[in-house]
Amino acid sequence: MSARLQFDSISKLFPAVRALSDVSFSVGAGEIHGLLGENGAGKSTLLRILSGVYRPTAGSVLIDGRPVTLNNPVQARAAGVAMIHQELQQVPRLSVAQNMFLGHPPMRGGVFVDRRQQERRAAEALAAIDPTIDPAAPLGSLKVAQRQIVEIARALLDRARIVAMDEPTSSLTPSEFERLAEVIAGLARDGVAVVYVSHKLDEVFGICQRATIMRDGAVVETVDLAQVSEKAVVSMMVGRELAQEQHRSHASGEIRLSVRGLASATKVRDVSFDLHRGEVLGIAGLVGSGRTELLRLLAGADRASSGTMEIDGKAIKLSSPRGGIAAGIGLVPEERKREGIVPLRSISSNMALASMGVFAPRGVIDHRRLKRVAAEKMKRVNLRPFLLDRPIRLFSGGNQQKAIIGRWLAAGTRILLFDEPTRGIDVGAKAEIYHLIEELAAEGHSAIVVSSELPEVIRLADRVLVMRDGTVAAELGRASLSEQAIAAHAIPQTEIEAGKAQGRRAGA
Amino acid sequence: MTDITQHTAARPSADFLHRFSVRDAGTLIGLVVILAVFGALVPGFFAERNLINILPQSSINACLALGMTLVIISGGIDLSVGPTAALSAVISASMLVAGVPFPLAIAAGFAIGLACGLLNGVLVAYVGLQPFIVTLGTLSTYRALALIYTGGNPVLGLPAGFRAIFNGSLFGLPLAVIIVAVVALIAWIILKKTPFGEYLLAVGGNEEAAYIAGVPIARTKIAAYMISGLLAALAAQILIGRLGAAEPILGNLWELDAIAAAAIGGASLMGGKGSVVGTILGAVILGSMRNGLTLMNVQSFYQLLATGLIILAAMLIDRVTRGRG
Repeated sequence: MSARLQFDSISKLFPAVRALSDVSFSVGAGEIHGLLGENGAGKSTLLRILSGVYRPTAGSVLIDGRPVTLNNPVQARAAGVAMIHQELQQVPRLSVAQNMFLGHPPMRGGVFVDRRQQERRAAEALAAIDPTIDPAAPLGSLKVAQRQIVEIARALLDRARIVAMDEPTSSLTPSEFERLAEVIAGLARDGVAVVYVSHKLDEVFGICQRATIMRDGAVVETVDLAQVSEKAVVSMMVGRELAQEQHRSHASGEIRLSVRGLASATKVRDVSFDLHRGEVLGIAGLVGSGRTELLRLLAGADRASSGTMEIDGKAIKLSSPRGGIAAGIGLVPEERKREGIVPLRSISSNMALASMGVFAPRGVIDHRRLKRVAAEKMKRVNLRPFLLDRPIRLFSGGNQQKAIIGRWLAAGTRILLFDEPTRGIDVGAKAEIYHLIEELAAEGHSAIVVSSELPEVIRLADRVLVMRDGTVAAELGRASLSEQAIAAHAIPQTEIEAGKAQGRRAGA
Repeated sequence: MTDITQHTAARPSADFLHRFSVRDAGTLIGLVVILAVFGALVPGFFAERNLINILPQSSINACLALGMTLVIISGGIDLSVGPTAALSAVISASMLVAGVPFPLAIAAGFAIGLACGLLNGVLVAYVGLQPFIVTLGTLSTYRALALIYTGGNPVLGLPAGFRAIFNGSLFGLPLAVIIVAVVALIAWIILKKTPFGEYLLAVGGNEEAAYIAGVPIARTKIAAYMISGLLAALAAQILIGRLGAAEPILGNLWELDAIAAAAIGGASLMGGKGSVVGTILGAVILGSMRNGLTLMNVQSFYQLLATGLIILAAMLIDRVTRGRG
């Protein structure tokens, strides 16, 4: 197998930081190559060099054995490199076809865009991978998974020889992932070299043949995935053994939150459950099954159309998150950047936002007290680096998440609602967040954890509600908890049959 | 725990320096440079009398710009400050001429300012219209109301007693300057030391996150517009006190100078960022530049040019140094 793509001793120096040192590995034609590492390991820098955004300080990129100059994204594209970003760089209001030809549409007479040719060629490229996508539809009307496929079709149009994918599946459902995996395998069959970056090890093990593990800007090792264990890969990524974690339950018999018949105008219908003191309740289900919407109802961020909530036996009615906070409920939202942090403000300010009344009993903020509480809470959640006045945007995702959790601790929240608590967070910080959730439960907090990652749910939850079509389809205790059991309840029956018809194993 | 308390207790002086941000220091350097240039070019620029002149000339703009800064921090903009001032001015003035006691007439002017701000705020926060469009609409509306109310004629002959209030001086400083200084101090306290200040920064910095964190979004925004309206009314009282008359067309293009002062001072029109100290410095920069150019007998066309260039230069410096501090 010839090396389609080769990184030869790539180093990248930024002022004050050595982002990459002497990175070398190669990817063959038709190979799907995983690129693994914690946040800050240098994966993104390497991809930026490949796509022409950064220039290496030393070393070179070789394509089909020849060194190539990648001074800007246009040159990289001309060299056959297509980049598929984690946060898709598309224009939602334009059509699928327009997006596929963004920046270089087919022209007629050198002046006008040839729309007909544009749509025809877009349709041809899409037909090969997903004929159900209409090239004339506005891109914004597509699901995230379909948009990924549009990006891949665009790479096909550009006759890409190398496709680099940065966390393509962070918001896909299992069945969407399977579809994407097929498309990627198709690319590889056509001789494309695929570089696949993901935090989800099971996916990497599922679709990649080899993987390169990076840490602190250097390659730890390039491994044949058939011959190593996930555990070995994780310890290469973090540079130490992560202790094997056992689930521990701290649930008591005392009911803290009782929900009956809760429904929203659109996505949630007739949800009832009890949450105990010290309990971690998992909520599993496909994206779109109403999990996020349920959490928003519980937090008061959206209004319920019917149903009741009781906390410690007292009925509450929520019309805003302010009411939820007063009742002791706090939401750690899924999209941290959009709903969690105020990026320009410091860690302390972000933490104090939900409990300003506590810090300003007479209308003026007691900054000394705020600093003391911030120091205490941030020590509690193990913020790193421990700089309380630094704008939160300069922290990693994991540490931003810790600050948001600290916000609720400072506000005296007793019921924490976590929506995808470790999305986009690296392995080391993930373990810390798990610990934190457990410790909080041990102290008597109650938590609800919504997650698409089944191992996460199983690791954390004392009990799991599986949601389907906006309601609770099943309740699973620890004894009956398994990925298979969750999947069996989460997937609508029609999809299982469709899966069988295609000869695939349902819910695998 | 013990090391934490020591940690925070050990640095009160560093903490004080920390409050004077890098960005404000930049604005201050800009002001020093401009003062130095005019000091070298204009004989008598540094004369005590002239320096004392710059401040009252800047005070009206500074007053508006403080309100504008709070609105801009909340992620909005208030284009209606000039007409708000005009409406407040003609109503106070006509009451004064009719013999209504000063406090009542001034209070009515403030009430008009608050009401104008309330309407802006409600349309932005509850109806959900874009601040630029809302205040563009009320800019015309409030101006029209002022013109209709007066039939387009100035209200003349304000009582001397009223004029004396705003033309007096205290400790050798014009009273208007002292009033605006007090307002600036209050605005600084609001922004740095009250929950409302934190809410403004959070709402402008990330409204969705602020909502989830329990910040009262609508109340915060409305309060910002009401303060802006109130300060426009205060500027109007200072001006009609100085002039002895209220014209329905007063305050034309005030909004642009106010936005300029806030932007030079580091407020981001994207919201979530802005500084009271910076805005005051920005207003003094604009004021001293006009004063210097006037003393140099530069035509007003070139004064306009200089204002434009100062704003662009400030934004370019901002862009180049962005991401630090």
